[in-house]
Formats: sequence, C-alpha cells, structure tokens
Amino acid sequence: MTSPPPAKVSKAPSFPLIWVVPLVALAVGGWMLLRDLVNRGPEITIDFADGSGVEAGKTTLLYLGVSAGTVTSVALKPGLEGVTLCVRLDKSARSLARQGSQFWIVHPEIGFSGVKGLDTLVTGVRLNVIPGTGPVATRFKGLDKAPAPDVVDEGRAFILQCDRLGSLTTGAPVLYRELKVGSVEASRLSADSTSVLIRIHLEAPYVNLVRTNTRFWNTGGFSFKVNLFGAELKDTSLESLISGGVAFATPDALPLAPAAAEGAQFALASEPDKEWLKWAPKIPVAAPDSAYEPSGKSGILPALLRP
Amino acid sequence: MNQRFEFRSNANAGAFALAAAVMLVPANLLPVLDTQTSGNNRSDTILSGVIELWRNGLWAIAAIVFVASIMIPALKLAGLGWLLLKTRRGAPQDVGRLTRIYAAIDFIGRWSMLDVFLAAFLTGLVQFGEFSTVRARSGIVAFAAAVVLTVLATQAFDPRALWESPADSSP
Repeated sequence: MTSPPPAKVSKAPSFPLIWVVPLVALAVGGWMLLRDLVNRGPEITIDFADGSGVEAGKTTLLYLGVSAGTVTSVALKPGLEGVTLCVRLDKSARSLARQGSQFWIVHPEIGFSGVKGLDTLVTGVRLNVIPGTGPVATRFKGLDKAPAPDVVDEGRAFILQCDRLGSLTTGAPVLYRELKVGSVEASRLSADSTSVLIRIHLEAPYVNLVRTNTRFWNTGGFSFKVNLFGAELKDTSLESLISGGVAFATPDALPLAPAAAEGAQFALASEPDKEWLKWAPKIPVAAPDSAYEPSGKSGILPALLRP
Repeated sequence: MNQRFEFRSNANAGAFALAAAVMLVPANLLPVLDTQTSGNNRSDTILSGVIELWRNGLWAIAAIVFVASIMIPALKLAGLGWLLLKTRRGAPQDVGRLTRIYAAIDFIGRWSMLDVFLAAFLTGLVQFGEFSTVRARSGIVAFAAAVVLTVLATQAFDPRALWESPADSSP
C-alpha cells in the first residue's frame, strides 16, 4: 500500500489579488476628478450696465471667433444699477482673465455701411473680448459698446474739419479715385462748437497718398444738374451714396509735398474743384495684399491688380 | 499563487463593494450629459439633472431618476456593506431577514443601469447638429463602473456565510 503523496500546501497570497480592484477604482476615479478639475478654466464676473439678451448657459464668450467660455449665471446687482454675469472660461482661454481685458456684448447691427454681428440674430447675443496684459483678475467692468477697432494695420489717422457733418457716419468710406482706402472712424464737435471734427483712418498701404497739401471733399449724396447743354449727374460709389463718404486728391505738382503726419488736420470741402479731379500724382503705394504680388506664374490678372 | 481563484467569497465582495463606493464619487460629482439645444448649452451631473427635471414640472421622471440613479446605488452598497459586516461578526440572529435583503439587492441591481441606458440612448439618438446635440461625459463612465462593480459585489457575496460562524467558513 503506497501512501498518498504529501499534499502541496500553498500559502494564500499575503495580499489578495482582488484588492487590486478597489485600488484601480481609486486611481481611475481620482484621475477622472483631477482631470475635470484641471480642465476647468477660471470663473470671472463681469458687470454690465445693460444685459439685454444675455442668457445663462447659452451666451458664449468669443475670442478670435472661437468659443472661449460660457455665461453660467446672470443676476441683477443688489442696487439694480446693472447686471453681473458669471463666465466660466475654457481652460485654453484662462489668460483672458487678466486686468485690462475689455468685454462687451455684441448685438446685431445693421447699418448702411455694413452688417455686423448678423449671426447673433439667430444665436442670440454673445460676448466679445479684447485681452488685457495686466495681472490675473476675476472681476471686470464690461463696456457699453464695442471699443473703437484696434488699429491692427499700420494705417494712419487724420482729422477733417467741416461746417456740418452731412451724411457722414462711422464706417463711411474714404475714397481715392473712387477706390476705398480707409474709413470714417468717429466724429465730434470742435471745442468751440463752430465746426465738426471727423477722424478718418487710412489703411496702411495708402497712407502715402495723403500729403500736406492734399484736398478732401465730401462725396455724400448726389447732385443732379440740368442746364442748356444737358443733364449732369454727380455720383460716386453706391456705398458712399447711401452712407456718405470722403474723397481726396493730392496735387501732382513736383516736387510732391511731404506725406502728412498722423493726426494732421485738413479742411473738408463740400464739393471738389474741377481741377482736383484732374490731379494724378505718381505716388508709390505698398501692395495691400500679398496675393497681388507678382509671383511669376500668377498670370496677368494679379499683375493688373497690383497698385 | 496556483490557488484556484474563488470568485464567490466575501473578501471579493468587500473589494468590489469598496471599488464601487469609490467610483460613486466621480459618478456623482462629474457631469454625465452635455445637452445642446439651439445654442443652449448645459452640462449636467446626475443631481443637477434631477433638479432640472423637477423644476420643469416632470416630477415623476425626476423621482424615477433620483430613485434609480442616486438612492438605489447608495442603498445597495450600504446594504451590502451591512451584510458583509454582519457575516464577519459571526452567525447573526436574523438570518432570514438578511437573506431577503440580499435577494432584494440582487434583484434590484439590474435596474440601476437605467441612467447609463438613458445616456447611451440619448447620445445615439439626439444628434441634430446645430439644433440639438447630446454628448455623454465622463461621469456616466464612472457611474456605469460603479453599477457593474456593485453587481459583481452582489454576485460574489456568498449568502451561505450568513448561516456559518466565521470559524467554519472557508477562507
């Protein structure tokens, strides 16, 4: 009779394998919470005098055309003097929470010189922002309207003086040979209220067209003259017909006068002299768009369009 | 280590229950569903979803979601934990009642997947681009994990242990 082989006794593992399950759960759960916490951007509050159209959970903050955050709550201020919005910024937009950031509410705007924020008709209003550069902040004062457009290009601003504003509105075109080279930025009464001051902005490539002896005139509206020898209709571009506009010409007498400096002031005539329209000085201008650069193979059309 | 893995043991049940309890934390704190209807964005956790349903007057649905998604998982885990504690203390007096509790926990387990089912259903169905979009978020994953772990814990629990004293129960 053989005795059975001795039983192999294995020790139970000191650390039961099953306890890996709660440890894994702890690791995964902790990681999920941590990720949510890290991905969450800061929350900022913005005070506005008027909050028409802003809705919690719906209104988004846009920067460079992409969503940078969402309004999480809208509340009236205790004294009823305005509204306070809470905005949860996206993580990637956290550097918008800096002192000096300017927030404003974009409403649809339909004017003769263009349609702005048309998409907000459908999507509701939205917030826009120009980032500041100061230290981190969480409380802001919103602007009542969009700030004056940032001069992104190296254009130049001039002041025009005239007796009455006429039909010139903000955004009205500034024309050279009926080509739009700038726009009217703002207008106000002069300090002694005897005239109107209009600030225009010329796009960078065209700043050299304005010389110290340049003449400006108002192209707004149209006039219709009938005399013995026929009818004459004076008109310019359709855009300036509706919203008004400013045209200018520079004398072609050589040597050319020096280019006008930033903020130079000119008189705005109500009508051009016949002579002004004949001026054709040769003034080199920078190419406004690299697409018009002659690259060799782009054919004749770009070459034609090149100024 | 060549010991055969015994699934049905109260140590396993305890481990699964603990893991489920851990997963319930992110499941309740993280958003489970993003809904977007005509530009209106919401990100809801389970509780905020229940509150929103309640506010909109959908009391019955709010109650169902609350019971199925918040109360039942919590009660199940609490009940299971209680049973496990009882068995460790030796043969309890009220064995019959405890067994009925176990049967109830086991029966009710499958119903807590309601939330996960709802999220999967909505995410698949409501995809109308600009007008209406629903997206599942990480909270629902944690919730599903918690439910699955609870079911595993219930399955691993050995109700026979209720009748045995700790001395004769197998390790």
